Amino acid sequence: MIHVVRVTSRTERDPAGEDVLAEIRRTLDLPAIDRVRTARVYRLEGVSRAEAEQLAERLLAETVDQRWTLDAPVITDAARVVEVAYLPGVMNPEAASILKAAGDLDVHPAAVDASYEYAFYPRDGAEIDAAAVEEVLARLLLNPSVEQVVTREPDTLRIAGETGATQRIAIRSMDADGLRALSAEGLYLDDDEMAAIQEYFVEIDREPTDLELEALAQTWSEHCVHKTFKRELRVDGRKLAPMMRRLKRTSEQYDDLILSAFVDNSGVMDFYDGWAVCGKVETHNSPSAIEPYGGAMTGSGGVFRDILGTGRGAKVVASTDMFCFAPPDLPAEEIPPGALPPDYLLRQVVAGVRDYGNRMGIPTNNGSVHFHPDFRAKPTVIVGAYGLLPSALAAMGEPRDGDRILALGGRTGRDGIHGATFSSVQMTADTKAVNSQAVQIGNAVEEKRLLDAVLACRDAGLIRAITDCGAGGFSSAVGEMAERIGCYVELERAPRKYAGLTPWEVFLSESQERMVLAVAPEDVQAVLTVCATYNVEATDIGYFEPTGRLHVAWHGETIADLTMHFLHDGLPERILQATSPQPREAVAEPEPPTEGAAWAAVAAAVMAHPNVCSKEPIVRQYDHTVQGSSVLPPYGGEEGDAPGDAAIMTPLHGRPYGLVISHGLHPALNLLDPYWGSVWAAAEALANLVAVGGNVREASLIDNFIWPVPEDEQLASLSLAVDACVDVMHAVKRPFISGKDSLSSTYRYPDGRILHIPPVLCVSVFGRIPDVRKTVSSALRAAGSRLILVGARDAAGLGGSAYLDVLGADEGAGRVPRVDLALLPLTLDRMHAAIRDGHVLSCHDISEGGLLACATEMGIGGDFGVALDLGPLTAKGETTEQALFAETAGVFLVELAADVDPTALFGAGGAGGAGGAGGAIADDGDASSVAVHDRGDVTNDAVGDHAVGDHSVGEGDDQKIATHVPWVDVGRTLDDEVLRVANEGELIFEVPLATLQAEWERPMRSVFH
Amino acid sequence: MSNASNGRSSQMGPLACILKADGTNCEVETAHALEQAGARAVIVPMNRLRAGEVRLADHDMLVVAGGFSYGDDVAAGKVMAVELMSFLADEMADFVAAGKPVLGICNGFQVLVRTGLLPFGELGTMSATLTENQSGRFECRWVTMAPESDTRADFLQGLPSRLEMPMAHREGRFWADDETMARLEAEGLIALRYVDSNDEPTDVYPANPNGALHAIAGVCDPTGRIVGLMPHPERFVEDVRHPAWHRRPATSEPDGLVFLRAFTALA
Repeated sequence: MIHVVRVTSRTERDPAGEDVLAEIRRTLDLPAIDRVRTARVYRLEGVSRAEAEQLAERLLAETVDQRWTLDAPVITDAARVVEVAYLPGVMNPEAASILKAAGDLDVHPAAVDASYEYAFYPRDGAEIDAAAVEEVLARLLLNPSVEQVVTREPDTLRIAGETGATQRIAIRSMDADGLRALSAEGLYLDDDEMAAIQEYFVEIDREPTDLELEALAQTWSEHCVHKTFKRELRVDGRKLAPMMRRLKRTSEQYDDLILSAFVDNSGVMDFYDGWAVCGKVETHNSPSAIEPYGGAMTGSGGVFRDILGTGRGAKVVASTDMFCFAPPDLPAEEIPPGALPPDYLLRQVVAGVRDYGNRMGIPTNNGSVHFHPDFRAKPTVIVGAYGLLPSALAAMGEPRDGDRILALGGRTGRDGIHGATFSSVQMTADTKAVNSQAVQIGNAVEEKRLLDAVLACRDAGLIRAITDCGAGGFSSAVGEMAERIGCYVELERAPRKYAGLTPWEVFLSESQERMVLAVAPEDVQAVLTVCATYNVEATDIGYFEPTGRLHVAWHGETIADLTMHFLHDGLPERILQATSPQPREAVAEPEPPTEGAAWAAVAAAVMAHPNVCSKEPIVRQYDHTVQGSSVLPPYGGEEGDAPGDAAIMTPLHGRPYGLVISHGLHPALNLLDPYWGSVWAAAEALANLVAVGGNVREASLIDNFIWPVPEDEQLASLSLAVDACVDVMHAVKRPFISGKDSLSSTYRYPDGRILHIPPVLCVSVFGRIPDVRKTVSSALRAAGSRLILVGARDAAGLGGSAYLDVLGADEGAGRVPRVDLALLPLTLDRMHAAIRDGHVLSCHDISEGGLLACATEMGIGGDFGVALDLGPLTAKGETTEQALFAETAGVFLVELAADVDPTALFGAGGAGGAGGAGGAIADDGDASSVAVHDRGDVTNDAVGDHAVGDHSVGEGDDQKIATHVPWVDVGRTLDDEVLRVANEGELIFEVPLATLQAEWERPMRSVFH
Repeated sequence: MSNASNGRSSQMGPLACILKADGTNCEVETAHALEQAGARAVIVPMNRLRAGEVRLADHDMLVVAGGFSYGDDVAAGKVMAVELMSFLADEMADFVAAGKPVLGICNGFQVLVRTGLLPFGELGTMSATLTENQSGRFECRWVTMAPESDTRADFLQGLPSRLEMPMAHREGRFWADDETMARLEAEGLIALRYVDSNDEPTDVYPANPNGALHAIAGVCDPTGRIVGLMPHPERFVEDVRHPAWHRRPATSEPDGLVFLRAFTALA
């Protein structure tokens, strides 16, 4: 018997219902719906009527402002009422809390569930038909991957099932077609890989179990082993070193301050006073495309566990989020079959990141959102996390003979089966239906418990080694931890959410919120005690032993026995073939405006461009003040509307040490030019760090390559992006220390057409500074200040800019801006020194929207106006549109008090502001840029010795070129809150800042009303 | 301790019990802030109290820290309130009867309201609620509050007339029926109100960030020693936390520290 308690508000107000109504008004044409109310529905199985009443009164409803019913409707006056509940088998995180609280009240249900009812009220005289409700459900309320409309009372909430038996698969006698068919059943391995597996089992003279095949497929999946990055390449027939080797070899040359790079769950660098900081950035694109709320949540949960599982355990101190979507106003007919509407994706992804990070108590204080129509089939969802740990515990732990394997945290369910293999393949219209089991709803409080318990164990010295259970579940976690020793897993001991899982499912399940610890036998009891204090389930599931084998048993029966050597090194070698992309055909740029009003209109349109506009309505939903560590919030200043270029925080309470976090990405540029687009992303990330006072010399980089399935041209372009990262490392002499590739940004339409989702290189940077007081914000501080543009501009490169986009230019118009890698390091150093030494009032870096957006944002944030005079730029040959809208990264707009001499800060680079010096620098810039690129190509000939790349901006080379930093005086700040743009004193246009601010804020306010 | 904030406790100050349930997530910075304010602070997981390993009575003050206890499932702070009422009601009653001060911050405020301790000090009788923000969403922003001039929470007397702190919550809208609201006003149980740029209590978003009735940001019980507020004083005990500190050098102690110092002086 299931009793149903329904609860609704006694008052008129119902914010959840009003939110649904507002969404209906914004996105659907359903004028008949006048009002929406909501109710909570709680199902209680295995309790008496009296007990259900008791739970309603004392737990589920509050009579102060709510009323409730038992086994009866609670909203009776609406035209239509529908209930939306999770599908059976999708674990509802709320259920555990309800069971706990019921237990505290001495009521013990067998199972519970919680869901929502939506009630629709018509406008006077109108009728709400079933189709209208269907439309609201389909567009706004129901995600059929994880939810259903409840049309009849369920018989039971319990999930039952018989535990399936382990199967043996007769692989030894299969022919090629048989192997291919077997692979297609969920292994997703290629012919060579299947043959290698067959050969292994022929050699050891037995058939594999399903668990063994699944474990091999997981370990060898692109997601886990990064085959593409580890294999040798041929581009147009020329040999190239594996991309991973290029990155690592360069990284190793700049390892000052680095405690751990590319080996652990995150990269670790030294902080201060015996502490270290670590960073990891992950993608969760495929799950987010199917179930954006759950997908984003589990993305956050996964990257937080990466931090927790770093060294011997790190505390998560910050979270970042970078998203790419199709524009929110994409017409419905352009949404590919099987894909969700972009505004729904945007809101749900934001909600998922919000609910996980906020509940964990992790400040989300840096991020961005980018839009391009080609993300319509699949968004790019990037989440980062940063941690703090004692330096002495920064090295990855190694399990020893006899150490126990402890599984901590959530129970294992059927969720996320095949997540690792699934995320490595292209999407189609059927992806949603087939792979819904790969998605689950995160339970942030479960992970918070886990984090508290792990850190308590760490501080008590109880952890020998730790890793998270992410993609690949126990198979990946235990398999990797035991790689250099061997293990015996008593799998039947692993706690399960419900009966009916076969052993291989238990081993491969990607159920969230689990960690695996290696614990010395004498410390096991202490770990269990700590876990009990924090309500964390901890289970001993086996031990490490020096066999060099992965041995898994189920009630004593061996169900896997593979050598670690074959598991981790048995993947067949292969050489990848790629073809350089054809150069794009030149497309003419549109004609610029010719008179003031038209310029003002373009300025307003650029501020409202989705890649430029204010993201404050998103950021306000994230808690960035929790942990009491924020020094520069995402939006600061007097009115909370000054965008910060980077986050600054003090992770050690009471000490002045700053952790600075920034990032950069620009999918449109990557699409047009994989090399220079990637350089732009890195330069933007570094410039963001420096713009607030960060120091690149004490910073580390993290890469995220999110690329279409890497075949032919896509692989060649990926290789160029890697070259860009290598060249940037040589330029700034700092390493990438962590990274991730996600190579499945490809969508196949039902008719076979392919959509390549724009490639994204996201570069994240984190670094340390000794004193957070020596930083600045982007908000102007005074009227009468000088505005100095600092850094080498490639103003002719307007390709991919917001300006060209608002003019309606074809995508290929213009040329992608080239960052001068020879001048960049000196610019960053001089900027850092100027801020550190207190000479800079405020600073903002140039990015999307160019000088115009940069100056406007500084004015909005500081409540001062700006008068720009483009004379010094046009004198160097820049056109008005180039001067205003060029987006070269690595360039800063700096507010200096009128009596501060820029020459003292940046050198003679801009002396006089006009002609000569600047022009010469632009030429220098071009020359060195081209040279870097050419030499980047040359490296392609040098297999296994990508160190050739280190000549690209080699020692001495840059010393010779970069002796001064280009700068020009471009304006003054004003009391009058306007943006005034002139050329050599002649006014071009003037707009009130309020007008530009309204345009800047409008796009996201309309999505997040 | 997972962070480096402890070990700086003053040797003399009152001992604060910072109560932590699953999902409480502000306990570390709250401990740091209370230490700055002159207290000694210990973080006490709920299970240690339930098991009797730690006794509330051994502490001089109780702080229910912010966060999402038990995920705020069902309603914010509800599951933790049920747990407190089921296992620790007597200890809580004794603690309060001994005149020891109790502070609930954000989720802690929600918990205290759901136990009935706030606003009328009636353990087990819930008479007001903190419900969904009018915006329907979680929000994080800085707000300005003014202490009431005639509040029973007399430790607020002498504090600056404007207190700035960050708020970060989804369910912070103080709501009660008209009769209860009238009683709160009449009995001086309103401690802090959201004010606009003219220092006037306001219903207008975002100065009133959640639509709280009578602009209520914090209340107290009739003794003035049990206090709850939605904004976070512990997040503003250093001047560099303020979002405009780069523009506006601090001229006085951060408001969160001022508030916590005054509260700690009650113990």
